[in-house]
Amino acid sequence: MAYDLQLSHIGKVYDNGTPAVIDFNLDVDKGEFIAFLGPSGCGKSTTLRMIAGFESITSGDLLIRGKRINDLEPEKRPTSMIFQNYALFPHMTVRQNVMFGLEVKQLPAGEAKRKVDRILEKLGLTEVADIRPTRLSGGQRQRIALARSLVVEPDILLLDEPLGALDANLRKSIQNELKLLQRDLGITFVFVTHAQSEALALSDRIVVMNAGRVEQISPPRELYTRPQSIFVARFIGANTLISGSVRSVSGAQITLDTAFGPLTADAPASVPTIGRPASIVLPAEAMHVLPAALPEAEIREKGGSNMVPCTITRLQLVGHILQIGLVLPNGEAVTLEGHADKYRDTLSAGSPAVVAWQPSDATLIVQ
Amino acid sequence: MESRILKPTLAIYVALFILFLYGPFVVLTIISFQQGPEGGPQFPIIEWSTYWYRHIFGLTPPSRIAPLPFGEALLRSLVLALMTMVVSTVLGVMSAQAFRRKFKGSGVVFYLIVLGMMVPGVLTGLGTSLLANNVIGIERHWYTTAFATHVAYTFPFAFLVMLAILNRFDASVEEAAWSLGVDPWTTFRKVTFPLIFPGVLSAMLFAFTLSLDEFPRTLFASGRDQTLPLAIYGTFSVEIHPNIFAFGVLTTLFSFALLSVYGILMAMSVRRAKKMAMQEDIA
Repeated sequence: MAYDLQLSHIGKVYDNGTPAVIDFNLDVDKGEFIAFLGPSGCGKSTTLRMIAGFESITSGDLLIRGKRINDLEPEKRPTSMIFQNYALFPHMTVRQNVMFGLEVKQLPAGEAKRKVDRILEKLGLTEVADIRPTRLSGGQRQRIALARSLVVEPDILLLDEPLGALDANLRKSIQNELKLLQRDLGITFVFVTHAQSEALALSDRIVVMNAGRVEQISPPRELYTRPQSIFVARFIGANTLISGSVRSVSGAQITLDTAFGPLTADAPASVPTIGRPASIVLPAEAMHVLPAALPEAEIREKGGSNMVPCTITRLQLVGHILQIGLVLPNGEAVTLEGHADKYRDTLSAGSPAVVAWQPSDATLIVQ
Repeated sequence: MESRILKPTLAIYVALFILFLYGPFVVLTIISFQQGPEGGPQFPIIEWSTYWYRHIFGLTPPSRIAPLPFGEALLRSLVLALMTMVVSTVLGVMSAQAFRRKFKGSGVVFYLIVLGMMVPGVLTGLGTSLLANNVIGIERHWYTTAFATHVAYTFPFAFLVMLAILNRFDASVEEAAWSLGVDPWTTFRKVTFPLIFPGVLSAMLFAFTLSLDEFPRTLFASGRDQTLPLAIYGTFSVEIHPNIFAFGVLTTLFSFALLSVYGILMAMSVRRAKKMAMQEDIA
C-alpha cells in the first residue's frame, strides 16, 4: 500500500554548508495527523517547506502517494500550506481570497462558486465574504486561510505554526475546530509547532526534532510515557528524571546506582554495559505516594518495588483531583495529580512519605 | 538650554533651504509678468502684464522677438520621457525581482546597474555619441542614442526604488499562491504586482521627471533634433526675453500637475483601503 507521504533519508544543507535537516525518515498514512515538534531552529519548518516545495531538497526522496516529487514545482504538488501569518492576499476580499486557487483550475462556471460558498459556510465566513481580510480578527483570518487552502482539495495540508499568532483562549477553540475538520475531511495534516500541548492534543503521531535530527516518532501518549531520549523527556516535560549509572544487569532488569540508592528498571532493547550513565524517566502518573509509616511490603505491593523517600509540601483538592506537591531528597520539587479517592486521608502536608513505582512504568534511557 | 540654540538654528536653516529652493522660481515668476515687448528680464517690473504668456502661444501682434521654437521640442521631450519611463520601470521591476534571490555575481551586477546614475552625464553623452558615430556608424537621434542614455540614467533609480519596495515585501503571500496551485507568472500578475504597485508608481515618476529635464547626456547624444532642455538652452545664446521665464513657469506648473496626479493616485489607493476598513467596522 502506498503511503500518502513518505520522507526517505531527507537531508537539507544550506548553501553556506550548514546542515538544517539530517536523515529524516517518515511514512505517513492517509488521513493521519502528524505534528513536527521541536524548539525553534530544529529544522521542523524547513522540512515542512521542503514538502511544500519552497525549499530544495539536498538528499533523499520525497514521495507523495508513491510518486517521487523532489523537483516538482510547488504549484504542481498536491499540497497546500497554512502560514503562521496566514499570508492572506490583502488586496482581495475574503471570497476572492478563497476563489483564487480555483480560478486557475478552469472549473465549469458555477462550480467554483458553489465550492467557495460551501467552504465559506462550513467555516462560518459567509457573513464576512465580501470584506477584505486585513481588519478581521486573528481567528477569522485563520479560518480564511483554512478555507482558501481546503477549497483546492489538497491531498496533504501543511500547517506552519498556524496557532502561534493567536491568544490562548482562541488557540484552544481553533485547536478543537482543526481536529474536527481534519477528521471530517479525512485528509492528511502535517502540523509544525513548538508547543508540546498543541502537538499532544492534536496529532496521531508526533515527530520530535532537535538540531536537524529526528529524536523520536511516536503517538502522543507514548512520547510521554516512553521517551527514547533525554531530550524528548525534557522537552515533553511532566517527567521526573533520575540519573545514575548501570550497576548490574539481570535478565530484563537493570539496576541503577542513583542519588536515591539502587533503583531498578526494565532493560531497553540494547542491553547497556556496567558503569554506563543512564537515567530513569518517570512519568508523573507512574508515581504512587504513600505514607512513610507503612511497612515496606505494603508500599511494595501498593506502589512498586522502586522507592524514594520524600516530603509532602502541599496537598490541594481540586474537585476529585488531589494535587500533591513533594520534595525529593535531592531538593527537586515534583507535583503530582491523583484521584482523591485513592489518597483519601492517608497523606498530610509536611509529613514524610515514599514515592514508589513499578519498574515497568518508567523508561530507562542509556546515555 | 539646548533647544534655545538648536531650535532657532534649525529654523533659520529650513528658512534658507526654502528660500534657495523656491527663490529662483519666485523671481522667474515675477519677471514672467513683465510688460512686453520692450520689457526685459530686469527689476523692477515696468508694468505687470500677461504679454509674454500670450507671446508663447502666438497671441500677440508680430514684433521683433520671434516666438519660442519649442513646440516640437516639447513633444519630443514628452515622448522621450514616456518611452524612458516605460522601459526603465519595466527593467527596474524585473531586475529588482531578480535580486530577491542571491545569484552568482549579483554584487557586481548591482554596481554595474547603479553606475548608470553615478558616472558624469557629459561623459556618458560624449561616449555614446563617439560610439554611435565612430564605432557603430549610426546617426544620432533623440529616440535612439539619447533614448539609450536616458534609460541607462533612469533605470538605476527605478531599480533602487523597486529594490526597497521588494525588500519589505512579505514573500509568504507568493508562496501561499503557489501552494494553491497558481503558477509563478499568474502569481506575479495577480498578487505581487498589485501589492507593489505604489512602488511602481514612484519608479515611473522618477524615470519620467529625470528624463524630461535631462541635459548633459542629451546634449551630445541627441543629434540634430533637440529636446526641450536643449532648445531652452539654445535660446540663451541669443538674447534672453521674459518669454522664456513664462515658459519656465508653465513647465513647472506641468510638473506640479504631474505630482498631483501621482499624489491623487496614491491617496486613492490609501482611501480605498481605509474605506474598506470602515465598512468592515460597520459589518
